Amino acid sequence: MNRIEAPSLKEIDKINFIEPRKVLIGNIAPFYSIENHGSDAARIELFFKAGTIIDRPVLASLCSGLLLAGTSKETATEIHNNIDDLGGFFDINLSQEHTVVSVYALNDQIIPLLTIVMDAMHNASFPEAEIEEQIADKKQRLRVSYEKVNFLCQRDFQKRLFEGTNYAKVTEIEDYDSVTRAEIIDFFNSYFRKGLLKATLVGRLQEEQLREIEQLLAPWAGKEVTNNTPIFKQQKGNYHIEKTATVQTGIRIGRMMFDRKQEDYHGFVIMNTIFGDYFGSRLMKNIREDKGYTYGIGSALAEMKDNGYFIIGTEVGAEVAAATLKEIQYEMTQMKDQLVDKEELELVRNYLLGQALKSADGPFAMMDLFLGVEMHGLDYSFYNEALKKLKLITAEEIQSLAKKYLVWEEMLVITAGQQLID
Amino acid sequence: MIQFERFELKNGLKVIFHKDTSTPMAVVNTLYDVGARDEQEDKTGFAHLFEHLMFGGSVNIPSYDAPLQNAGGESNAFTSNDITNYYNVLPAQNIETALWLESDRMLSLAFSPKSLEVQRSVVIEEFKQRYLNQPYGDDWLLLRPLAYLKHPYKWATIGKSLQHIEEVQLDDVKAFFKKHYNPANAILCISGNFEFDYIKQLVEHWYGNIPGGIKPARILPQEPKQTEFRKAVYERDVPADAFYYAFKMGERKSEEYYIADMLSDELGKEKSSVLYLKLKKELQLVTDINAYILGSLDQGLFMISGKMMNGKSMDELDTALWEVLDTFQLNPITAQELKRLKLKIRTSREFQEQGLLNRTMNLAYYELLGDANGINEEHEIYNAIEVEHLQELSKQLFVKENCSLLQIKATQSHE
Repeated sequence: MNRIEAPSLKEIDKINFIEPRKVLIGNIAPFYSIENHGSDAARIELFFKAGTIIDRPVLASLCSGLLLAGTSKETATEIHNNIDDLGGFFDINLSQEHTVVSVYALNDQIIPLLTIVMDAMHNASFPEAEIEEQIADKKQRLRVSYEKVNFLCQRDFQKRLFEGTNYAKVTEIEDYDSVTRAEIIDFFNSYFRKGLLKATLVGRLQEEQLREIEQLLAPWAGKEVTNNTPIFKQQKGNYHIEKTATVQTGIRIGRMMFDRKQEDYHGFVIMNTIFGDYFGSRLMKNIREDKGYTYGIGSALAEMKDNGYFIIGTEVGAEVAAATLKEIQYEMTQMKDQLVDKEELELVRNYLLGQALKSADGPFAMMDLFLGVEMHGLDYSFYNEALKKLKLITAEEIQSLAKKYLVWEEMLVITAGQQLID
Repeated sequence: MIQFERFELKNGLKVIFHKDTSTPMAVVNTLYDVGARDEQEDKTGFAHLFEHLMFGGSVNIPSYDAPLQNAGGESNAFTSNDITNYYNVLPAQNIETALWLESDRMLSLAFSPKSLEVQRSVVIEEFKQRYLNQPYGDDWLLLRPLAYLKHPYKWATIGKSLQHIEEVQLDDVKAFFKKHYNPANAILCISGNFEFDYIKQLVEHWYGNIPGGIKPARILPQEPKQTEFRKAVYERDVPADAFYYAFKMGERKSEEYYIADMLSDELGKEKSSVLYLKLKKELQLVTDINAYILGSLDQGLFMISGKMMNGKSMDELDTALWEVLDTFQLNPITAQELKRLKLKIRTSREFQEQGLLNRTMNLAYYELLGDANGINEEHEIYNAIEVEHLQELSKQLFVKENCSLLQIKATQSHE
């Protein structure tokens, strides 16, 4: 038998994108649902405008942590008991632009669960004792994070890259000392009440149950804030955060980019995959698989509302941190100076096609894929464009994108750890 | 109910096939019955380092990842104290690429010296990243040798020290492969929208002529029954004191495992759990506290761990914790509490089974436990648990002589 030659490959001919059912909650906020055939698992996600950029981040952080912390009638514990009785779970995630409340349960428990959560939020009383406890917990968690080089460089990267905008704001320990209960309540009233921007459901529910959810959520529906998009300046330069007694150094490198509506977007994603966004990328091949400097390194085009940024991240042995920076710079130069060869481009094409197929596999993945375009006001035609670009892109185009964007001198470079050794 | 079919090749390879008509993807999962517990005490961390080398090219194919990526797929692996598990996820129409790659590295590796040198460095960086350069990162490196005196669970999968990884020779790699990586020591599990006959024919084609080996006998040092309370205290440059109570519990295949799993949920999983309510909400001794079990194949650990609130002492916590555990032993939980524990287990399970990869890995793991169908029987085992079972087990587990306590004392001070 022939073990030398690879079996022949078959092209992916199509990807099925499923359009979610859409209705408006309270005539304002979209509610998207996708049916989960053949499973009893149901998830509802609620997107509130209460992100960290909307006010002092410490308020978003505390408020989101206190949503289920008690009402005038029930303690936090009683609320959690009620959630547990339904076999349900919830989590609350805070990002720069949203607070996302997610609830998980079996189909027949999801509406009772949502009812408990919305009721607890509607009547949230923000008890003093709960606030104090939350502050003590968050302070401690932040102190633990301060010990991580990864956290230190990521945070400094954020502060410098977004300088002059709300995106640069972070929470420090002392911020927790100046917060009052009235401010938290005020934040809640401003950005949670009438602050629900969209909701999603993945599950198997009847039409009347969907309407029941719409009614439950209707009082919360609100409009997207239409204040002007902040103006980001390109930031560059090298900065080091000294942390002694560390055996690895954290590295973040990047620059402001653009969002999915920009014409270079699709091409840049393909170029970036080659450069640093899969296991066989240039960065991985050189810095992990040839030099053994790190357990992992990657680059990405991160997305925000109406904007985006490029970021390279890794943690490397303290003694090879400076050498790693040189290698990253070298790989950027290679992308600019050399045409990607046919074989590598073909591999990345096939790889990305396979990943696209995977990212559309199953109702939960499909909802995430849909939200990826919805947040930019786009639809599935965006992905079809991406697939088309994947088939047509040339090595020359990739090179010109690298020349345009992978410019070392224009990058912001943050390191955290021991002093760099040259 | 997760449907599957199984067959075995003449060389001893066990194969499970799980059909899913709803997905365009396929998963090829290979579980090797070898983990860190099979290492020699002076060569720890080896099973995991070896896992990295499995991606360094096989006897006929110079690169593992590139052909798979070219087929639209991705691959990864993990090593635990018990097993080493490799998986490929790729578009179903290209499944043969995964079988070609996976069968060739079962046949033999390239054993390239360069691969050993590089992966040695990569694993050393992984060791630093996960265990040395993180606050509380070395907790399990300290706890394992306290809780286990003889059994190889006394070292972590990453190894006892960087030195063991630095000393590995290519001959060690070859010997390890020869002993543990053969069809008789593996379980292959394939899933996707295929016909059984097609999978059978493909597997026979790619794996049929791999020479059958001998499944290595596993004779591990037995852990003597613990008869004394053990305690170790370490100082670390961290912001808060941390504590780890480890209680010996039954092996994975015992009924006790399931009861302990449920007991840990009741004691310390959610914000309605016993320990959270008493030690955090009421006494405000801790900032977080959790109870959980290690699902290890041999005798496991029931863990209670957390971090102290600044200004509170671990002695106060110790007294309070034992009081809670003593009280718990005397007061059975209510039928309502039991019901919700079971419902929560069902919900979690429903979500876990969403993913094709999860289902595929789990089928292979249950086959290792004795029967892939165990995955479908677990629900009944949980359902049969009664209040008294939890009661009895808590009496048996939560005694001082069954406990090893690790305390991390913070040298940083904060008001």
